[in-house]
Amino acid sequence: MTDIVVRAKGVVKRWGSTLALAGVDAEIGPGVTGLLGANGAGKTTLLGLILGLHRQDEGRIQVLGLDPTTAGPEVRARLGYAPEHEALPGDVRAHDLVRHLAEVHGLPRKAAVGRASDALWHVGLGEERFRPIGTMSTGQKQRVKLAAALAHDPALLLLDEPTNGLDPMQRDAMLQLIRRIGTDFGISVILSSHLLEEVERVCDGVLILSAGTVVTSGRLDELRGGGGAFIVEPDGDVEALAARLRAAGLEVEVVGLRLAVTGEELAVVDAVRDACAELAIGIRRLQRRTATLEDVFLAAGTAV
Amino acid sequence: MTDRAAHIYEQGYRAYDGERLGVRASVRSLAVHSILRGLGLRRTFWAKLLPIATVGIAYLPAAVFLGIAAIIPDEITGDLDAIPGYADYFGNITAAIVLFVAIVGPEVLCSDRRNGMLGMYLASPLTRETYLLAKVLAVLPVLLLVTLGPQLLLLIGRTLIDVGPETVADFALVLVRTLVAGLVVAAIYTAVSLAAASLTDRRAVASAGVILTLLVSSSVTSALVEGADFDRRLYLLNLAFLPFELVQRIYGELGSEPTLATASLVAGVFTWVIGAAAVVWWRYQQLTVAR
Repeated sequence: MTDIVVRAKGVVKRWGSTLALAGVDAEIGPGVTGLLGANGAGKTTLLGLILGLHRQDEGRIQVLGLDPTTAGPEVRARLGYAPEHEALPGDVRAHDLVRHLAEVHGLPRKAAVGRASDALWHVGLGEERFRPIGTMSTGQKQRVKLAAALAHDPALLLLDEPTNGLDPMQRDAMLQLIRRIGTDFGISVILSSHLLEEVERVCDGVLILSAGTVVTSGRLDELRGGGGAFIVEPDGDVEALAARLRAAGLEVEVVGLRLAVTGEELAVVDAVRDACAELAIGIRRLQRRTATLEDVFLAAGTAV
Repeated sequence: MTDRAAHIYEQGYRAYDGERLGVRASVRSLAVHSILRGLGLRRTFWAKLLPIATVGIAYLPAAVFLGIAAIIPDEITGDLDAIPGYADYFGNITAAIVLFVAIVGPEVLCSDRRNGMLGMYLASPLTRETYLLAKVLAVLPVLLLVTLGPQLLLLIGRTLIDVGPETVADFALVLVRTLVAGLVVAAIYTAVSLAAASLTDRRAVASAGVILTLLVSSSVTSALVEGADFDRRLYLLNLAFLPFELVQRIYGELGSEPTLATASLVAGVFTWVIGAAAVVWWRYQQLTVAR
Protein backbone atom coordinates (compact mmCIF):
# COMPACT_ATOMS: atom_id res chain seq x y z
CA MET A 1 0.00 0.00 0.00
CA THR A 2 1.27 3.44 -0.91
CA ASP A 3 2.00 6.14 1.66
CA ILE A 4 0.48 8.86 -0.47
CA VAL A 5 -1.87 10.94 1.70
CA VAL A 6 -3.32 13.12 -1.06
CA ARG A 7 -3.52 12.22 -4.71
CA ALA A 8 -5.01 14.64 -7.26
CA LYS A 9 -5.48 13.86 -10.93
CA GLY A 10 -6.55 16.53 -13.40
CA VAL A 11 -8.42 18.53 -10.77
CA VAL A 12 -10.21 21.55 -12.17
CA LYS A 13 -12.19 23.97 -10.01
CA ARG A 14 -13.96 27.08 -11.22
CA TRP A 15 -15.54 29.81 -9.13
CA GLY A 16 -17.94 31.36 -11.61
CA SER A 17 -15.78 32.58 -14.45
CA THR A 18 -12.58 32.35 -12.38
CA LEU A 19 -10.46 29.27 -12.93
CA ALA A 20 -9.06 28.52 -9.47
CA LEU A 21 -7.45 25.17 -10.28
CA ALA A 22 -6.62 24.33 -13.87
CA GLY A 23 -5.90 20.61 -13.93
CA VAL A 24 -3.87 19.89 -10.82
CA ASP A 25 -1.92 16.63 -10.79
CA ALA A 26 -0.17 16.01 -7.51
CA GLU A 27 0.84 13.36 -5.03
CA ILE A 28 1.53 14.40 -1.47
CA GLY A 29 3.38 11.96 0.73
CA PRO A 30 3.79 11.74 4.50
CA GLY A 31 5.80 14.26 6.51
CA VAL A 32 5.50 18.01 6.24
CA THR A 33 4.61 19.27 2.78
CA GLY A 34 4.57 22.93 1.86
CA LEU A 35 1.79 24.15 -0.37
CA LEU A 36 3.40 27.18 -1.82
CA GLY A 37 2.07 29.89 -4.06
CA ALA A 38 1.16 33.52 -4.31
CA ASN A 39 -2.16 34.77 -3.01
CA GLY A 40 -4.80 33.54 -5.46
CA ALA A 41 -2.67 30.65 -6.69
CA GLY A 42 -5.33 28.16 -5.60
CA LYS A 43 -3.88 26.94 -2.28
CA THR A 44 -6.99 27.46 -0.17
CA THR A 45 -9.22 26.06 -2.91
CA LEU A 46 -7.09 22.92 -2.99
CA LEU A 47 -7.35 22.64 0.80
CA GLY A 48 -11.13 23.02 0.49
CA LEU A 49 -11.23 20.17 -2.03
CA ILE A 50 -9.08 17.99 0.23
CA LEU A 51 -11.58 18.66 3.01
CA GLY A 52 -14.49 17.83 0.72
CA LEU A 53 -16.01 21.27 1.24
CA HIS A 54 -16.36 21.76 -2.52
CA ARG A 55 -16.75 19.44 -5.43
CA GLN A 56 -14.20 19.71 -8.23
CA ASP A 57 -15.56 20.40 -11.71
CA GLU A 58 -13.25 17.86 -13.29
CA GLY A 59 -10.70 15.29 -12.20
CA ARG A 60 -10.37 13.10 -9.13
CA ILE A 61 -8.96 13.60 -5.68
CA GLN A 62 -8.20 11.03 -3.01
CA VAL A 63 -7.37 11.80 0.60
CA LEU A 64 -6.10 9.00 2.85
CA GLY A 65 -7.39 6.59 0.23
CA LEU A 66 -10.93 8.03 0.26
CA ASP A 67 -12.81 10.31 -2.09
CA PRO A 68 -13.77 13.43 -0.09
CA THR A 69 -16.64 14.25 -2.44
CA THR A 70 -18.42 11.01 -1.57
CA ALA A 71 -16.95 10.22 1.86
CA GLY A 72 -16.62 13.76 3.23
CA PRO A 73 -17.50 13.03 6.88
CA GLU A 74 -15.21 9.97 7.01
CA VAL A 75 -12.32 11.94 5.49
CA ARG A 76 -12.84 14.97 7.70
CA ALA A 77 -12.99 12.82 10.84
CA ARG A 78 -9.34 11.98 10.13
CA LEU A 79 -8.25 15.50 9.18
CA GLY A 80 -7.34 18.48 11.30
CA TYR A 81 -7.76 21.94 9.82
CA ALA A 82 -6.58 25.31 11.03
CA PRO A 83 -7.98 28.00 8.72
CA GLU A 84 -6.17 31.17 7.78
CA HIS A 85 -8.75 33.61 9.09
CA GLU A 86 -9.52 34.21 12.73
CA ALA A 87 -12.03 31.52 13.54
CA LEU A 88 -12.50 31.52 17.26
CA PRO A 89 -15.25 32.82 19.53
CA GLY A 90 -13.72 35.31 21.93
CA ASP A 91 -15.95 34.55 24.89
CA VAL A 92 -15.23 30.81 25.06
CA ARG A 93 -12.38 29.35 27.07
CA ALA A 94 -9.62 27.72 25.03
CA HIS A 95 -10.08 24.35 26.70
CA ASP A 96 -13.85 24.37 26.18
CA LEU A 97 -13.45 25.11 22.49
CA VAL A 98 -10.74 22.52 21.85
CA ARG A 99 -12.70 19.89 23.80
CA HIS A 100 -15.86 20.73 21.91
CA LEU A 101 -14.18 20.44 18.52
CA ALA A 102 -12.59 17.14 19.53
CA GLU A 103 -16.09 15.88 20.37
CA VAL A 104 -17.42 17.17 17.06
CA HIS A 105 -14.67 15.11 15.41
CA GLY A 106 -16.04 12.03 17.11
CA LEU A 107 -14.15 11.66 20.37
CA PRO A 108 -16.17 10.62 23.43
CA ARG A 109 -16.54 13.33 26.07
CA LYS A 110 -14.00 11.92 28.53
CA ALA A 111 -11.33 11.38 25.88
CA ALA A 112 -12.00 14.83 24.43
CA VAL A 113 -11.46 16.49 27.82
CA GLY A 114 -8.10 14.81 28.31
CA ARG A 115 -6.88 15.31 24.79
CA ALA A 116 -7.91 18.97 24.77
CA SER A 117 -5.65 19.54 27.78
CA ASP A 118 -2.83 17.55 26.15
CA ALA A 119 -3.13 19.42 22.85
CA LEU A 120 -3.06 22.79 24.61
CA TRP A 121 0.03 21.70 26.56
CA HIS A 122 1.71 20.60 23.35
CA VAL A 123 1.16 23.97 21.70
CA GLY A 124 2.46 25.73 24.80
CA LEU A 125 -0.81 26.93 26.26
CA GLY A 126 -1.06 24.54 29.17
CA GLU A 127 -1.15 27.30 31.76
CA GLU A 128 -3.48 29.45 29.69
CA ARG A 129 -6.01 26.81 28.75
CA PHE A 130 -8.85 28.13 30.86
CA ARG A 131 -8.55 31.70 29.61
CA PRO A 132 -11.22 33.12 27.30
CA ILE A 133 -9.84 33.16 23.77
CA GLY A 134 -10.72 36.83 23.36
CA THR A 135 -8.12 37.75 25.98
CA MET A 136 -5.32 35.98 24.10
CA SER A 137 -2.69 37.40 21.78
CA THR A 138 -2.68 36.66 18.04
CA GLY A 139 0.08 34.11 18.54
CA GLN A 140 -1.87 32.35 21.27
CA LYS A 141 -5.01 32.29 19.14
CA GLN A 142 -3.05 30.69 16.28
CA ARG A 143 -1.89 28.06 18.75
CA VAL A 144 -5.44 27.46 19.98
CA LYS A 145 -6.44 26.81 16.36
CA LEU A 146 -3.55 24.38 16.04
CA ALA A 147 -4.54 22.62 19.28
CA ALA A 148 -8.14 22.37 18.04
CA ALA A 149 -6.91 20.80 14.79
CA LEU A 150 -4.67 18.41 16.72
CA ALA A 151 -6.80 17.24 19.65
CA HIS A 152 -8.61 14.43 17.85
CA ASP A 153 -5.31 12.95 16.63
CA PRO A 154 -5.77 13.47 12.88
CA ALA A 155 -3.85 11.49 10.28
CA LEU A 156 -3.37 14.65 8.24
CA LEU A 157 -3.20 18.23 9.41
CA LEU A 158 -4.02 21.11 7.05
CA LEU A 159 -2.59 24.44 8.13
CA ASP A 160 -3.55 27.50 6.12
CA GLU A 161 -1.02 30.30 6.62
CA PRO A 162 -0.50 29.45 10.31
CA THR A 163 2.10 32.17 10.85
CA ASN A 164 -0.08 35.04 9.66
CA GLY A 165 0.03 37.94 12.09
CA LEU A 166 2.82 36.49 14.22
CA ASP A 167 5.92 38.39 15.25
CA PRO A 168 9.30 36.83 14.35
CA MET A 169 9.70 35.01 17.66
CA GLN A 170 6.16 33.64 17.63
CA ARG A 171 6.68 32.61 14.02
CA ASP A 172 9.83 30.77 14.95
CA ALA A 173 8.07 28.91 17.73
CA MET A 174 5.13 28.05 15.50
CA LEU A 175 7.40 26.67 12.77
CA GLN A 176 9.32 24.56 15.29
CA LEU A 177 6.03 23.20 16.57
CA ILE A 178 4.83 22.34 13.06
CA ARG A 179 8.11 20.54 12.42
CA ARG A 180 7.65 18.56 15.65
CA ILE A 181 4.12 17.60 14.64
CA GLY A 182 5.39 16.25 11.34
CA THR A 183 8.31 14.36 12.89
CA ASP A 184 7.81 13.57 16.61
CA PHE A 185 4.02 13.33 16.50
CA GLY A 186 3.99 11.33 13.27
CA ILE A 187 1.15 13.36 11.76
CA SER A 188 1.39 14.35 8.11
CA VAL A 189 1.09 18.08 7.62
CA ILE A 190 0.20 20.22 4.62
CA LEU A 191 1.41 23.71 5.31
CA SER A 192 -0.09 26.31 3.02
CA SER A 193 2.06 29.40 2.82
CA HIS A 194 3.21 32.13 0.51
CA LEU A 195 6.54 32.43 2.35
CA LEU A 196 9.41 30.50 0.78
CA GLU A 197 11.58 30.73 3.83
CA GLU A 198 9.19 29.05 6.22
CA VAL A 199 8.41 26.22 3.82
CA GLU A 200 12.13 25.71 3.33
CA ARG A 201 12.64 25.57 7.09
CA VAL A 202 10.08 22.98 8.07
CA CYS A 203 8.98 21.01 5.03
CA ASP A 204 10.15 17.70 3.62
CA GLY A 205 8.31 18.20 0.37
CA VAL A 206 6.72 21.01 -1.57
CA LEU A 207 3.92 21.54 -4.04
CA ILE A 208 4.21 24.86 -5.83
CA LEU A 209 1.07 26.31 -7.35
CA SER A 210 0.83 29.21 -9.72
CA ALA A 211 -2.40 30.44 -11.27
CA GLY A 212 -4.10 27.16 -10.43
CA THR A 213 -1.52 24.83 -11.90
CA VAL A 214 1.25 22.81 -10.31
CA VAL A 215 4.55 24.43 -11.22
CA THR A 216 6.68 21.83 -9.50
CA SER A 217 6.38 19.30 -6.73
CA GLY A 218 8.49 16.72 -4.97
CA ARG A 219 10.79 16.22 -2.06
CA LEU A 220 12.64 19.35 -1.11
CA ASP A 221 16.08 17.69 -1.08
CA GLU A 222 15.53 16.42 -4.62
CA LEU A 223 14.26 19.77 -5.87
CA ARG A 224 17.21 21.50 -4.26
CA GLY A 225 19.66 19.06 -5.83
CA GLY A 226 21.15 21.86 -7.98
CA GLY A 227 20.92 20.11 -11.34
CA GLY A 228 23.90 17.80 -10.77
CA ALA A 229 26.41 20.56 -10.13
CA PHE A 230 29.20 20.33 -7.55
CA ILE A 231 30.91 23.13 -5.67
CA VAL A 232 34.71 22.85 -5.44
CA GLU A 233 36.69 25.18 -3.24
CA PRO A 234 40.42 24.61 -3.86
CA ASP A 235 43.25 25.71 -1.60
CA GLY A 236 45.22 27.16 -4.51
CA ASP A 237 44.96 28.49 -8.06
CA VAL A 238 41.26 28.42 -9.03
CA GLU A 239 41.82 29.28 -12.70
CA ALA A 240 44.42 26.58 -13.17
CA LEU A 241 42.13 23.98 -11.66
CA ALA A 242 39.25 25.22 -13.84
CA ALA A 243 41.40 24.84 -16.94
CA ARG A 244 42.38 21.27 -15.99
CA LEU A 245 38.79 20.29 -15.37
CA ARG A 246 37.61 21.83 -18.65
CA ALA A 247 40.37 19.90 -20.38
CA ALA A 248 38.93 16.76 -18.77
CA GLY A 249 35.65 17.52 -20.53
CA LEU A 250 33.66 18.96 -17.62
CA GLU A 251 31.52 22.05 -17.65
CA VAL A 252 33.09 24.50 -15.19
CA GLU A 253 32.03 27.92 -13.97
CA VAL A 254 34.30 30.05 -11.79
CA VAL A 255 32.39 31.71 -8.96
CA GLY A 256 34.85 33.82 -6.94
CA LEU A 257 37.21 31.41 -5.20
CA ARG A 258 35.00 28.43 -6.02
CA LEU A 259 34.17 26.37 -9.03
CA ALA A 260 30.78 25.05 -10.03
CA VAL A 261 31.44 21.79 -11.87
CA THR A 262 28.68 19.97 -13.70
CA GLY A 263 28.86 16.31 -14.57
CA GLU A 264 28.35 12.75 -13.37
CA GLU A 265 29.22 12.44 -9.67
CA LEU A 266 31.96 9.84 -10.15
CA ALA A 267 33.50 11.66 -13.10
CA VAL A 268 33.53 14.99 -11.25
CA VAL A 269 35.04 13.54 -8.07
CA ASP A 270 37.73 11.62 -9.99
CA ALA A 271 38.61 14.59 -12.19
CA VAL A 272 38.84 16.99 -9.24
CA ARG A 273 41.00 14.53 -7.29
CA ASP A 274 43.36 13.98 -10.24
CA ALA A 275 43.59 17.65 -11.16
CA CYS A 276 44.32 18.72 -7.58
CA ALA A 277 46.96 16.02 -7.28
CA GLU A 278 48.65 17.13 -10.49
CA LEU A 279 48.55 20.81 -9.44
CA ALA A 280 49.54 19.90 -5.86
CA ILE A 281 46.76 21.90 -4.33
CA GLY A 282 44.46 20.95 -1.52
CA ILE A 283 40.64 20.81 -1.49
CA ARG A 284 38.80 22.85 1.12
CA ARG A 285 35.36 21.79 0.03
CA LEU A 286 33.75 19.45 -2.46
CA GLN A 287 30.01 19.09 -2.22
CA ARG A 288 26.89 18.80 -4.30
CA ARG A 289 25.45 22.23 -4.97
CA THR A 290 22.05 22.78 -3.33
CA ALA A 291 19.62 25.29 -4.71
CA THR A 292 17.44 27.42 -2.45
CA LEU A 293 13.72 27.14 -2.79
CA GLU A 294 13.90 30.54 -4.41
CA ASP A 295 16.14 29.06 -7.11
CA VAL A 296 13.56 26.33 -7.62
CA PHE A 297 10.91 28.98 -7.91
CA LEU A 298 12.85 31.08 -10.34
CA ALA A 299 13.74 28.03 -12.39
CA ALA A 300 10.05 27.24 -12.58
CA GLY A 301 9.39 30.78 -13.79
CA THR A 302 7.21 31.61 -10.81
CA ALA A 303 7.18 34.49 -8.43
CA VAL A 304 5.77 34.47 -4.92
CA MET B 1 11.57 11.58 54.44
CA THR B 2 12.40 13.31 51.23
CA ASP B 3 11.00 16.48 49.71
CA ARG B 4 11.94 15.44 46.23
CA ALA B 5 8.97 14.95 43.98
CA ALA B 6 8.75 13.49 40.53
CA HIS B 7 7.94 15.88 37.70
CA ILE B 8 6.99 15.15 34.14
CA TYR B 9 8.61 17.80 31.99
CA GLU B 10 7.80 16.37 28.61
CA GLN B 11 4.64 14.35 28.19
CA GLY B 12 5.30 13.39 24.59
CA TYR B 13 2.55 13.02 22.06
CA ARG B 14 0.11 10.19 22.57
CA ALA B 15 -1.79 8.91 19.56
CA TYR B 16 -5.48 8.21 20.14
CA ASP B 17 -6.58 4.68 19.44
CA GLY B 18 -9.84 4.73 21.37
CA GLU B 19 -13.41 4.78 20.16
CA ARG B 20 -14.47 7.30 17.52
CA LEU B 21 -18.15 8.10 17.48
CA GLY B 22 -20.02 8.92 14.31
CA VAL B 23 -21.78 11.93 12.87
CA ARG B 24 -24.64 11.54 15.36
CA ALA B 25 -22.23 12.36 18.18
CA SER B 26 -20.96 15.37 16.22
CA VAL B 27 -24.52 16.65 15.84
CA ARG B 28 -25.22 16.07 19.53
CA SER B 29 -22.07 17.88 20.61
CA LEU B 30 -22.81 20.89 18.41
CA ALA B 31 -26.45 20.97 19.55
CA VAL B 32 -25.46 20.93 23.23
CA HIS B 33 -22.80 23.58 22.65
CA SER B 34 -25.34 25.74 20.81
CA ILE B 35 -27.94 25.32 23.56
CA LEU B 36 -25.43 26.54 26.13
CA ARG B 37 -24.49 29.39 23.82
CA GLY B 38 -28.13 30.35 23.21
CA LEU B 39 -28.76 30.56 26.92
CA GLY B 40 -25.50 32.39 27.57
CA LEU B 41 -24.23 29.59 29.81
CA ARG B 42 -20.46 29.26 30.33
CA ARG B 43 -20.22 32.82 29.09
CA THR B 44 -20.05 36.23 30.70
CA PHE B 45 -22.72 37.54 33.07
CA TRP B 46 -24.00 39.94 30.41
CA ALA B 47 -24.38 37.15 27.87
CA LYS B 48 -26.55 35.23 30.36
CA LEU B 49 -28.61 38.19 31.52
CA LEU B 50 -31.08 38.66 28.67
CA PRO B 51 -31.93 35.01 27.89
CA ILE B 52 -32.23 34.02 31.53
CA ALA B 53 -34.27 37.12 32.38
CA THR B 54 -36.60 36.45 29.45
CA VAL B 55 -37.13 32.86 30.56
CA GLY B 56 -37.86 34.18 34.06
CA ILE B 57 -40.43 36.63 32.68
CA ALA B 58 -42.18 33.78 30.85
CA TYR B 59 -42.55 31.79 34.08
CA LEU B 60 -43.31 34.69 36.39
CA PRO B 61 -47.02 35.14 35.60
CA ALA B 62 -47.66 31.41 36.03
CA ALA B 63 -45.86 31.41 39.37
CA VAL B 64 -47.77 34.51 40.52
CA PHE B 65 -51.17 33.18 39.45
CA LEU B 66 -50.51 29.83 41.11
CA GLY B 67 -49.22 31.54 44.23
CA ILE B 68 -52.31 33.73 44.49
CA ALA B 69 -54.60 30.74 43.98
CA ALA B 70 -52.71 28.70 46.55
CA ILE B 71 -52.36 31.34 49.24
CA ILE B 72 -55.56 33.36 49.04
CA PRO B 73 -58.58 31.45 50.31
CA ASP B 74 -61.45 30.68 47.93
CA GLU B 75 -63.73 32.84 50.06
CA ILE B 76 -61.77 35.92 48.99
CA THR B 77 -61.27 35.05 45.32
CA GLY B 78 -64.85 33.81 45.16
CA ASP B 79 -65.85 32.33 41.87
CA LEU B 80 -63.12 34.15 40.01
CA ASP B 81 -60.66 31.81 38.43
CA ALA B 82 -57.41 33.56 39.30
CA ILE B 83 -55.41 31.33 36.95
CA PRO B 84 -55.66 31.90 33.17
CA GLY B 85 -56.42 28.97 30.88
CA TYR B 86 -53.59 27.08 29.19
CA ALA B 87 -54.22 28.61 25.77
CA ASP B 88 -54.85 32.09 27.18
CA TYR B 89 -51.56 32.00 29.06
CA PHE B 90 -49.67 32.50 25.78
CA GLY B 91 -51.30 35.95 25.63
CA ASN B 92 -49.61 36.85 28.92
CA ILE B 93 -46.13 35.97 27.72
CA THR B 94 -46.22 36.79 23.99
CA ALA B 95 -43.68 39.60 24.43
CA ALA B 96 -41.30 37.30 26.33
CA ILE B 97 -41.63 34.62 23.67
CA VAL B 98 -40.98 37.06 20.83
CA LEU B 99 -37.98 38.55 22.65
CA PHE B 100 -36.56 35.10 23.37
CA VAL B 101 -37.03 34.03 19.75
CA ALA B 102 -35.25 37.18 18.62
CA ILE B 103 -32.32 36.46 20.93
CA VAL B 104 -31.80 32.71 20.55
CA GLY B 105 -31.89 32.05 16.80
CA PRO B 106 -29.44 34.80 15.87
CA GLU B 107 -27.12 33.91 18.76
CA VAL B 108 -27.01 30.27 17.73
CA LEU B 109 -26.63 30.80 13.97
CA CYS B 110 -25.05 34.22 13.29
CA SER B 111 -22.15 33.82 15.71
CA ASP B 112 -20.58 30.89 13.85
CA ARG B 113 -20.52 32.81 10.59
CA ARG B 114 -19.34 36.02 12.17
CA ASN B 115 -16.46 34.53 14.17
CA GLY B 116 -15.47 32.00 11.51
CA MET B 117 -16.40 28.87 13.46
CA LEU B 118 -18.59 27.73 10.57
CA GLY B 119 -15.43 26.86 8.63
CA MET B 120 -14.13 24.84 11.59
CA TYR B 121 -17.41 22.93 11.86
CA LEU B 122 -17.62 22.18 8.15
CA ALA B 123 -14.05 20.88 8.31
CA SER B 124 -15.32 18.26 10.77
CA PRO B 125 -17.54 15.25 9.99
CA LEU B 126 -20.49 17.66 9.89
CA THR B 127 -21.97 18.60 6.53
CA ARG B 128 -24.03 21.73 5.90
CA GLU B 129 -27.17 19.67 6.43
CA THR B 130 -26.08 17.99 9.67
CA TYR B 131 -24.75 21.33 10.90
CA LEU B 132 -28.18 22.90 10.36
CA LEU B 133 -29.87 19.90 11.94
CA ALA B 134 -27.75 20.45 15.06
CA LYS B 135 -28.80 24.10 15.11
CA VAL B 136 -32.48 23.18 14.86
CA LEU B 137 -32.00 20.64 17.65
CA ALA B 138 -30.49 23.44 19.72
CA VAL B 139 -33.00 26.22 19.07
CA LEU B 140 -36.14 24.09 19.31
CA PRO B 141 -35.63 22.81 22.89
CA VAL B 142 -34.43 26.21 24.03
CA LEU B 143 -37.62 27.82 22.71
CA LEU B 144 -39.63 25.06 24.38
CA LEU B 145 -38.38 26.54 27.64
CA VAL B 146 -40.80 29.43 27.08
CA THR B 147 -43.46 27.82 24.88
CA LEU B 148 -43.88 24.62 26.89
CA GLY B 149 -42.28 25.08 30.29
CA PRO B 150 -44.66 27.70 31.71
CA GLN B 151 -47.71 25.72 30.53
CA LEU B 152 -46.37 22.59 32.19
CA LEU B 153 -45.86 24.62 35.36
CA LEU B 154 -49.46 25.79 35.11
CA LEU B 155 -50.72 22.26 34.59
CA ILE B 156 -48.74 20.82 37.49
CA GLY B 157 -49.55 23.78 39.72
CA ARG B 158 -53.26 23.64 38.96
CA THR B 159 -53.25 19.92 39.65
CA LEU B 160 -51.44 20.34 42.97
CA ILE B 161 -53.79 23.05 44.25
CA ASP B 162 -56.75 21.07 43.04
CA VAL B 163 -58.01 23.35 40.29
CA GLY B 164 -56.61 21.28 37.43
CA PRO B 165 -57.78 18.20 35.56
CA GLU B 166 -59.81 15.97 37.82
CA THR B 167 -59.07 12.55 36.37
CA VAL B 168 -55.95 10.90 35.05
CA ALA B 169 -57.48 10.86 31.58
CA ASP B 170 -58.19 14.59 31.74
CA PHE B 171 -54.66 15.22 32.94
CA ALA B 172 -53.22 13.14 30.08
CA LEU B 173 -55.38 15.01 27.55
CA VAL B 174 -54.26 18.42 28.79
CA LEU B 175 -50.67 17.21 28.92
CA VAL B 176 -50.77 16.07 25.30
CA ARG B 177 -52.45 19.33 24.23
CA THR B 178 -49.81 21.30 26.14
CA LEU B 179 -46.97 19.37 24.51
CA VAL B 180 -48.42 19.78 21.00
CA ALA B 181 -49.19 23.48 21.54
CA GLY B 182 -45.70 24.18 22.89
CA LEU B 183 -44.14 22.29 20.01
CA VAL B 184 -46.19 24.14 17.38
CA VAL B 185 -45.22 27.57 18.70
CA ALA B 186 -41.58 26.55 19.14
CA ALA B 187 -41.42 25.00 15.66
CA ILE B 188 -42.75 27.99 13.74
CA TYR B 189 -40.61 30.46 15.69
CA THR B 190 -37.50 28.26 15.42
CA ALA B 191 -37.92 28.27 11.65
CA VAL B 192 -38.56 32.01 11.44
CA SER B 193 -35.70 32.99 13.75
CA LEU B 194 -33.23 30.72 11.94
CA ALA B 195 -34.36 32.06 8.56
CA ALA B 196 -33.79 35.65 9.71
CA ALA B 197 -30.45 34.67 11.25
CA SER B 198 -29.32 32.93 8.08
CA LEU B 199 -29.62 36.14 6.06
CA THR B 200 -27.18 38.26 8.02
CA ASP B 201 -24.00 37.75 10.02
CA ARG B 202 -24.97 40.45 12.51
CA ARG B 203 -26.92 39.21 15.50
CA ALA B 204 -28.49 42.59 16.24
CA VAL B 205 -29.76 42.91 12.66
CA ALA B 206 -31.16 39.39 12.76
CA SER B 207 -32.87 40.02 16.11
CA ALA B 208 -34.40 43.22 14.78
CA GLY B 209 -35.41 41.29 11.65
CA VAL B 210 -37.27 38.67 13.70
CA ILE B 211 -39.17 41.29 15.70
CA LEU B 212 -39.92 43.37 12.61
CA THR B 213 -41.16 40.33 10.68
CA LEU B 214 -43.60 39.54 13.47
CA LEU B 215 -44.74 43.14 13.89
CA VAL B 216 -45.05 43.89 10.19
CA SER B 217 -46.88 40.62 9.44
CA SER B 218 -49.27 41.45 12.27
CA SER B 219 -49.92 45.10 11.50
CA VAL B 220 -50.13 44.74 7.71
CA THR B 221 -52.53 41.78 7.79
CA SER B 222 -54.68 43.44 10.46
CA ALA B 223 -54.83 46.68 8.46
CA LEU B 224 -55.71 44.85 5.23
CA VAL B 225 -58.34 42.61 6.80
CA GLU B 226 -59.95 45.05 9.19
CA GLY B 227 -59.39 48.25 7.23
CA ALA B 228 -59.67 47.15 3.61
CA ASP B 229 -61.94 44.13 3.95
CA PHE B 230 -59.46 41.64 2.60
CA ASP B 231 -60.13 37.94 3.00
CA ARG B 232 -59.69 36.89 6.63
CA ARG B 233 -57.45 34.06 5.48
CA LEU B 234 -54.79 36.75 5.15
CA TYR B 235 -54.37 36.24 8.89
CA LEU B 236 -52.54 33.06 8.01
CA LEU B 237 -49.62 35.34 7.17
CA ASN B 238 -49.77 36.94 10.61
CA LEU B 239 -46.94 35.39 12.61
CA ALA B 240 -48.11 36.96 15.85
CA PHE B 241 -51.56 35.46 15.37
CA LEU B 242 -51.28 32.19 13.50
CA PRO B 243 -49.50 29.94 16.05
CA PHE B 244 -51.53 31.23 19.00
CA GLU B 245 -54.81 30.80 17.12
CA LEU B 246 -53.84 27.22 16.40
CA VAL B 247 -52.97 26.79 20.09
CA GLN B 248 -56.58 27.80 20.93
CA ARG B 249 -57.87 25.06 18.64
CA ILE B 250 -55.45 22.52 20.12
CA TYR B 251 -56.99 23.21 23.53
CA GLY B 252 -60.44 22.76 21.97
CA GLU B 253 -61.41 26.42 21.98
CA LEU B 254 -62.85 28.50 19.15
CA GLY B 255 -60.19 31.17 19.13
CA SER B 256 -60.58 34.74 17.96
CA GLU B 257 -61.14 33.90 14.27
CA PRO B 258 -63.61 30.99 14.26
CA THR B 259 -64.20 31.41 10.52
CA LEU B 260 -60.70 30.14 9.81
CA ALA B 261 -60.70 26.37 9.62
CA THR B 262 -58.27 24.52 11.89
CA ALA B 263 -56.91 22.71 8.85
CA SER B 264 -56.03 26.03 7.22
CA LEU B 265 -54.23 27.08 10.43
CA VAL B 266 -52.26 23.82 10.40
CA ALA B 267 -51.44 24.35 6.72
CA GLY B 268 -50.40 27.92 7.48
CA VAL B 269 -47.99 26.85 10.22
CA PHE B 270 -46.67 24.04 8.05
CA THR B 271 -46.09 26.42 5.13
CA TRP B 272 -44.26 28.93 7.31
CA VAL B 273 -41.99 26.21 8.73
CA ILE B 274 -41.21 24.71 5.32
CA GLY B 275 -40.73 28.13 3.73
CA ALA B 276 -38.39 29.36 6.46
CA ALA B 277 -36.46 26.08 6.43
CA ALA B 278 -36.06 26.42 2.65
CA VAL B 279 -34.59 29.91 3.12
CA VAL B 280 -32.06 28.59 5.64
CA TRP B 281 -31.13 25.62 3.46
CA TRP B 282 -30.76 27.77 0.35
CA ARG B 283 -28.67 30.33 2.21
CA TYR B 284 -26.27 27.69 3.53
CA GLN B 285 -25.88 26.11 0.13
CA GLN B 286 -24.71 29.50 -1.13
CA LEU B 287 -22.12 30.00 1.60
CA THR B 288 -18.56 29.28 0.57
CA VAL B 289 -15.91 28.31 3.08
CA ALA B 290 -12.20 27.68 2.37
CA ARG B 291 -12.36 29.16 -1.12
